[in-house]
Amino acid sequence: MPSDLSAWLIILLVAGVSLSSRLAGSMLMSHIVISAPVRRFLDASSISVIAALVASITAQGGLREALAIALTALIMFRSKTAVWSIVGGMIFAAAWTAAARA
Amino acid sequence: MVRNSPSSNEISSEKLTLTLGGIWRGMRGLFPIALFSFPFGIAFGVAAAEHGMTIGQTISMSGLAFSGAAQFASLDFWRDPVAFTSLILVVLAINARHIIMGAALSPWVNTLPVTKRMFVLGFLSDANFAMSQQAFKAGERDVGLLLGGGFILWINWVSGTIFGAFAGALIGDPADFGLDVVIICFFATIVVGQMRDKAAIAPALIAAVVAVVALGWLPTGWNVILAAVTGGLFGVFFHAK
Repeated sequence: MPSDLSAWLIILLVAGVSLSSRLAGSMLMSHIVISAPVRRFLDASSISVIAALVASITAQGGLREALAIALTALIMFRSKTAVWSIVGGMIFAAAWTAAARA
Repeated sequence: MVRNSPSSNEISSEKLTLTLGGIWRGMRGLFPIALFSFPFGIAFGVAAAEHGMTIGQTISMSGLAFSGAAQFASLDFWRDPVAFTSLILVVLAINARHIIMGAALSPWVNTLPVTKRMFVLGFLSDANFAMSQQAFKAGERDVGLLLGGGFILWINWVSGTIFGAFAGALIGDPADFGLDVVIICFFATIVVGQMRDKAAIAPALIAAVVAVVALGWLPTGWNVILAAVTGGLFGVFFHAK
């Protein structure tokens, strides 16, 4: 276990690095003129970061997560209702876990 | 504050507002999603106790860092001597996607005065980013949506942590209820919802492929950054006319 001082230093570092990452993008962009190409970069990277998160977590998870996400995407594609899509994925994942336990 | 400075070109966004009404709408809008961060707060509280963190330290970390993945990862460093350099690199890798998100929100958020901007972005998280960038693109002009969404996530995360730190062992595994897939399913609905915009399809697909391929040779976190930048660059050079 770390000493008291080290423990609080860990907490402050995790908090500090997290806060810096939240502020850095906006601070960086305040020095850049938002021209048409920059705007296109931001538009494309904003959807890309979410798509990348989904892909990365799906690839690291198992079949359960992949199928739950696929089901969610399918319901969303058909119904355009986010809540039911998420509930669908959640019920699937819960049922999978229950079946695996049984 | 000049409302319509003559120097502002037509690409830069109009001034945004930050109102209590907007904050309230953000809180309500993300409430159903934020509820799910409660059980994960519990899970963190329990895991932190198992690693020997005191209740005060656990709650402080959730309140100040407000970053589930980074906090769970930091538990690996909860031993003596502390590998501070590795800790910083790991937390940076996990949270570097916030840099992209902050940059993506900058056309709107940067119209606020600096102190307000910092305060709002202090609550930046995946879910309120996903909700508000979609709303801003659709014409939303109240940054309160972003802040309110962050507030409600933070409240649930911290109260879950407090609950977990005191009484966590009473609760079962969040996976039993499918709670662990909620956030990722929420992101999937955002991605599918944005596919109506034809210009978003190719960058999203490319980013997904890059993120998975790069998993093999980049630490988790950096693969997402590389993917987001690649998708962004693709959007610059191959935009649909």
